[in-house]
Amino acid sequence: MDKVHQNDDLSRIRNYMPDRIKRVVDRISPEIAPCLEELRINAGMPLVGVFSGFDRFIAEDGSFTSQPETAFYVDREEVEELFYRLCEHSIYAYQDDIARGFLTLKGGYRAGICGKVVYQGQNIKGLKDISSVCIRISRELKGCAEEIFPFIRAGRNDIYNTMVISPPRCGKTTILRDICRIISTGSEKADFAGLRTVIVDERSEIAACYRGVAQNDCGPRTDVLDGCRKSEGIEMVLRGMSPAVIVVDELGTRQDAESIRMAWNAGARIVATAHAYDIGDLRERPGFGFLIDKGGFERYIVLGIQNGIRWIRVTDTYGNQLYHNDQTFGMYDGVFRMHCHGHEVFGEAESQAACASEA
Amino acid sequence: MGMKFSEKLKARQLALQKLKDILLFLENEICAMGKPLNKAFEDLVKGNYGGVWTPVFDRSGSILKEQSLDAGSAWKTALEEASATLPLVHDDIELLKDFGDLLGKSDREMQHAVLSMEKEKVSAMELKAKEAAETTGRLYRNLGALLGAAAVILLI
Repeated sequence: MDKVHQNDDLSRIRNYMPDRIKRVVDRISPEIAPCLEELRINAGMPLVGVFSGFDRFIAEDGSFTSQPETAFYVDREEVEELFYRLCEHSIYAYQDDIARGFLTLKGGYRAGICGKVVYQGQNIKGLKDISSVCIRISRELKGCAEEIFPFIRAGRNDIYNTMVISPPRCGKTTILRDICRIISTGSEKADFAGLRTVIVDERSEIAACYRGVAQNDCGPRTDVLDGCRKSEGIEMVLRGMSPAVIVVDELGTRQDAESIRMAWNAGARIVATAHAYDIGDLRERPGFGFLIDKGGFERYIVLGIQNGIRWIRVTDTYGNQLYHNDQTFGMYDGVFRMHCHGHEVFGEAESQAACASEA
Repeated sequence: MGMKFSEKLKARQLALQKLKDILLFLENEICAMGKPLNKAFEDLVKGNYGGVWTPVFDRSGSILKEQSLDAGSAWKTALEEASATLPLVHDDIELLKDFGDLLGKSDREMQHAVLSMEKEKVSAMELKAKEAAETTGRLYRNLGALLGAAAVILLI
């Protein structure tokens, strides 16, 4: 995994932060910051940093603690100000995103929002009285799928229909994005030519389009249909874009499954993800059986996380394991120790001391 | 001198008329195109639609882009900074200060209402400015001509 490059940090989102929160975020140790996956900012609640598989409160000095009384508390006005800043002081420009409950930010970050829902008839019109914001720090790990790509390649100009499965926050979308990049770009190492790819990016997470420009590298032969429902989007791109491969995130409904069947009938390959713990879990989902059975997906990439260590497994339709690897990419040693020493307060100095003492 | 005063009054009316055109432009950019305020202001400046208002929208757009102030404060700051160069009277500036307060803080429907309200306000201001240009402007012109004639007579 030495090819994995993390090229994002908190500096891209600090401009959105109100002054007090910005000061706290600036004090977070630069060694721990790259391991942060989410910042949860709730009105009247402590500021929370989420790492791979666990979370901690953030204190005013930027250290992490499991004791809420020592944490930094966020005001209601600060949440409101943050929301306006995330919307570039132009709520109308983001009203469709707000109605879906999240905003895609420059750099590919995503901010989930909660507040009072406003209905117009049967549809959600928007949100008001914003009470919490969850900034998910997107990580584009270029190269993270290179090791597994040979197992989903079916020839120089073909790939297997592939499903990426994992529980939330295990890296499905990150792997999917890199698979898409390799499929679109091609790979000399894997003797793969590169194929026309279309992403149906319902939640703007894969390409993370900001004002129509993909913020993540998804390859030169990739078209992005942004913000469109998967079932409708797949039909649209089949009609208009003649894709060799369609990439979709988070299959969940019966309609999604039906649209996958439609794509297969049209000769397109599918690379998709789904929330599940394993293939059996997915099989039990209504309408998904035919996707899993023979004639359905041909490769499964199953991701998981245990004690901060990520693992990845590739299997075929029959459950034969083709690849397995435990990985620790993305987690700084001090953060891993912070995870293990749950009740201590960890700042930069403490985490370094912990590392030294362990050594 | 009288002509100069009269021109000033005419310029005030034209500035308010221009602001009405700008509001129409913004209505299109905001309500129909859904562009964020800083982008709408930037496009207004780039497209040379701003006229005498260009410095105000340019500065507001920059402040909003930097995320240092909200739309209301950005507008007030920019208006105050440019007030010396605008052909407006003090009361006009005061009346226009609250324009940014509701801008960007609601959905497109409400933004449409905010911009329509502002257009009506500016229309009323323009009407007053027009009346002033016609009555006071004529007075200044006539007075100027009269004083000029008197000066010539005295010199002869």
